[in-house]
Amino acid sequence: MWNVTIKGLLAHKLRLALTALAIVLGVTFIAGTLVLTDTLHNTFNTLFGTIYQNVDFQVRGVAQFNSTGPGGAPVRNPIPESVLARVRAVPGVGVAEGEIQGYAQYIDKNGKAVTTGGAPTLGVSFDPNHELSALRLVSGHGPNTANQVVMDVGTAQKYGFAVGDHVRILLQGPTRTFTITGLARFGTANNLAGATLAAFNLPTAQRLMGDVGKLDAINVAVASGANKDQVQHTIAGALPQGVEVVTGQTVVNEATSQINSNLGIFSTALLVFAFIALFVGGFTILNTFSIIVGQRTRELALLRIVGASRRQVFAGVLLEAAIVGLVASLIGLGLGVAAAVGLEKLLSGLGFTLPSGSVVFAARTVIVAIVVGVGVTVVSAISPARRAVRIAPVAAVSEQQTEDEISFRRRFTWGAVITVAGVAALAAGLAKPAIQLVGVGAFLIFIGVARLAPAVARPMSSVIGRPLARLLGTSGKLGRENSMRSPRRTAQTASALMVGLALVSAIAVFGASLSRSVTSTIENAISANLVITSTAKGQQAGFSNTVRPTAAAVPGVKATSTVYQDQFLVEDSVQNLTGVSTATLSQTVILDMTAGSSSALAEGQLLIDNNTADSKHWTVGAAVPVRFALTGPTTMRIGGIFKANALVGKYLVGSGFFLTHFSNELPVALLVATNGSSTTESAVKQALIGYPNLKIQTKAEFEQSQQAQVNQLLTLIYALLGLAVIIALIGIVNTLVLSVFERTHEIGLLRAVGMKRRQIRAMIRSESVILAVFGAVIGIIVGTGLGIALTSALRSQGLNELAIPTPSLLIFLVLAALLGLVAASWPARRAAKLDVLAAIAAE
Amino acid sequence: MPTTYPLEPKRTKATPWRRNGAISRAKKRGAVALTKDAPASAAAHAVDLCKTYGSGQATVHALDGVDVTFDRGRFTAVMGPSGSGKSTLMHCMAGLDRPTSGHTYVGDLDVGSLDDKALTQMRRDRIGFVFQSFNLVPTLTAGENITLPVDLAGEKVDQGWFDYLVGQLGIADRLAHRPSEMSGGQQQRCACARALINRPDLVFADEPTGNLDSNSTSELLGFLRRSVDEFGQSIVMVTHDPRGAAFADRVVFLADGRVVDQLDEPTADSVLERVRKLGT
Repeated sequence: MWNVTIKGLLAHKLRLALTALAIVLGVTFIAGTLVLTDTLHNTFNTLFGTIYQNVDFQVRGVAQFNSTGPGGAPVRNPIPESVLARVRAVPGVGVAEGEIQGYAQYIDKNGKAVTTGGAPTLGVSFDPNHELSALRLVSGHGPNTANQVVMDVGTAQKYGFAVGDHVRILLQGPTRTFTITGLARFGTANNLAGATLAAFNLPTAQRLMGDVGKLDAINVAVASGANKDQVQHTIAGALPQGVEVVTGQTVVNEATSQINSNLGIFSTALLVFAFIALFVGGFTILNTFSIIVGQRTRELALLRIVGASRRQVFAGVLLEAAIVGLVASLIGLGLGVAAAVGLEKLLSGLGFTLPSGSVVFAARTVIVAIVVGVGVTVVSAISPARRAVRIAPVAAVSEQQTEDEISFRRRFTWGAVITVAGVAALAAGLAKPAIQLVGVGAFLIFIGVARLAPAVARPMSSVIGRPLARLLGTSGKLGRENSMRSPRRTAQTASALMVGLALVSAIAVFGASLSRSVTSTIENAISANLVITSTAKGQQAGFSNTVRPTAAAVPGVKATSTVYQDQFLVEDSVQNLTGVSTATLSQTVILDMTAGSSSALAEGQLLIDNNTADSKHWTVGAAVPVRFALTGPTTMRIGGIFKANALVGKYLVGSGFFLTHFSNELPVALLVATNGSSTTESAVKQALIGYPNLKIQTKAEFEQSQQAQVNQLLTLIYALLGLAVIIALIGIVNTLVLSVFERTHEIGLLRAVGMKRRQIRAMIRSESVILAVFGAVIGIIVGTGLGIALTSALRSQGLNELAIPTPSLLIFLVLAALLGLVAASWPARRAAKLDVLAAIAAE
Repeated sequence: MPTTYPLEPKRTKATPWRRNGAISRAKKRGAVALTKDAPASAAAHAVDLCKTYGSGQATVHALDGVDVTFDRGRFTAVMGPSGSGKSTLMHCMAGLDRPTSGHTYVGDLDVGSLDDKALTQMRRDRIGFVFQSFNLVPTLTAGENITLPVDLAGEKVDQGWFDYLVGQLGIADRLAHRPSEMSGGQQQRCACARALINRPDLVFADEPTGNLDSNSTSELLGFLRRSVDEFGQSIVMVTHDPRGAAFADRVVFLADGRVVDQLDEPTADSVLERVRKLGT
């Protein structure tokens, strides 16, 4: 059987190459993701190792609670500076230096804020002791006065700064100008994974970014010869309550694991799309092997006649699949590594300079890539292999029968059962919510619908093909007839595209709903004319607290409200808390109170939204136990309940209360109510010209920019789903090539009786367009359903509007038809090039 | 249906090939030569036709200097042992295959001068084909198969002619059926109707009865004979069967790629006799 399999593979190189391509692409995606994240992981490991190379211990505040969201960094309070003297006094301590970290954003020579695209814009205290510092001065000297700064080499190179230059820096307080006294690196890297860095001397750093007399942490190096355990023990004994001492290795491990969990989210997201691509590839494989088995009926029957057992035939087909899967996986693995290297280079090119680390090619990557690649191929080939087993030996000598009409009823019963199970899983998953269950549900729905699709393949192909037949005459008519010929083949080919388009459509519905919800959320939450936010993204998305008085002083401005955001504990669960100015609240913010009054904010009471009130059974006047990292546990009284709004959040307090419970908070937004004239608007912009990190937008502009963010996310997801669509197209190409091969005779006959090459091409293209549109129609229907389900399930999360983007869905349909044309181009050319005589003579 | 119908002059409708762009363009370029020595009565003829396959020691001369004329309005049978070049001759004359040297003409058209597009149009408009097997497109009904050449040309079907053909062939009640629902004889009669639907200059039939039982065979050959007698159709039929050849006006014998004999007004016995003679 081995020999027969190998010969079979060699005989069908072309069609198997196309099949393999689907697997190659999927495995490339997987291998690339794994190699990239492993490499990044290793890079960060090395980086943190370098940074804390000489730090034996770190003294820091104990973790109050872990913040939610990506990374989940623990929230710690600063420690009194007096601890430093105590630590230094411990016998065996060699060097001990305080450390401060905060927000400091450079302004480039053109007056624009230096942005990083996600990485922090860090301000730190410069440690004069080179033994402890992560920073390595490359040129110049450290900052000695309050007006001096050390810049990272990365920023200096990118924006053309040199030692001795003046640079303006955005800070929590007013913007200041500094003199660059030196340039520094993080270990061997020009910057810390894309972050910008401004290092001040310690007193300046305390004044600008922290609290005078407080430190974020103390780094300690043990004197040579001292017993480290003993020193750690002694330091611990000398520390006040709420302060701990940990080893440098612990700090490295913590920092690395935070990065890892971020990378984990990143790689999981990519792997989901890789899985989708492979899932679609599975349809292509199933289809190809079905067709090949059908075409080799005689050959397989002959094998049975000469004595091959059912098991041998079955194993032969699976072996063929396994070999194809293995070869494809190995190619995919190679391409994946290349892609990862390329991506890393791209990241470096974009300014995320990382310390040079070699590409990590873990054994796990090889194993996962091969197991998944071979697994998907073999599993997809099981059903065709079973069909091969059912071929009777007599088929070798009897007339070639048409494709066996499988027991439709049984097939459809199963299809319906799987679809219903999928819908149930999806519903349960959305209700919980459990993302894995949602995934399983969608997966089952796709398989179920794919099994049901042959039932509608014939009538739908007929309907879709009708205009083509009218438009293209005989060629269109023949294309239509060909697509109706084998409902199962048509359905299987179209199913791959169905999955891709279902996901695209679901995302489109979700995105359109999100976009509209964002608008209505803003409309229902903000009454101010202008919204001021920071251009920076991520955790440091704040801006200076001097912006508000500057804006408030502009004539025509009637009211300004600052918005803060941070996290606190409510009944031991971490929640987001919004703080907002109370005096001007009514002029800038819309709070639709369902109970109590918003004036309770000024009294230091807590407002909650109606969803939270319902789920926790809290009413106005209830006392709620909460805890702040800085100030510890306390009890807050519910002063009012407002109608849920995603922009406001679930928990709301006054800004006065907020600032006393958090240290060094930056405003995340400033809401400005003006007299409405555009003169005032430009006056505000003019007044704030010194803050290039600000986005000053009218409410309408703010809405548009929020929608643009949604669209940006959609575009990214579309791009990632694009691979699945491409694989589906490869499936169409494959089916068409196999069909052309199968119909060599017929095409020869058509050519003999006078069909032109152009007409042959039109015939193949018609068939392709019908296949593509069929898949797209089902996909769009299923996807719209999925999108509606997803949107409804997230209603309580602020997705309060449902929008079905009909124009987008129609565009998808047209695009699918065009892609069908593209997919047909090669098979159509092949068909048109068939030698008439050879085609007629082929027996 | 009156039998006088087909006796009306041929090409009462505008001849499709005259409006045929590719061929008329080829004529303007002078690519299509009118042969000086072509008999005016020839539907097709070949001049010193050679076709070789392979090279060196393995060279096979499928056709080795064939000069043959197929008369207009006559039924010619081509006979010969396997490998004598019968099918190759037919393929070259019909423009399905390119000769190694020599010329073939359909009417006054030099087949060798035509490009693929013009060849396709010639096949569609001026030649009818009936093959031994696989004559019909499985996805089309019998009726659609018959009108296929007309539909491909984007012309309108001559309904009277269509009705006459299907009536004569006895397949009027099978028109809505697919090939898989028809017997072998019905399929071949359907193929005959398709071959004639465009009133071609010449019909090439390549062992059309090879897969048929004796009843269907004589029905089919009888129809071909009638089409020659009643409306002057020119037919060239490749066959193995002496009784089939007896339906023809003339038999051309091929052996080793050469024309070795011809026989006019053949009967089954005279053909058989000639075959025996050639065999020895």
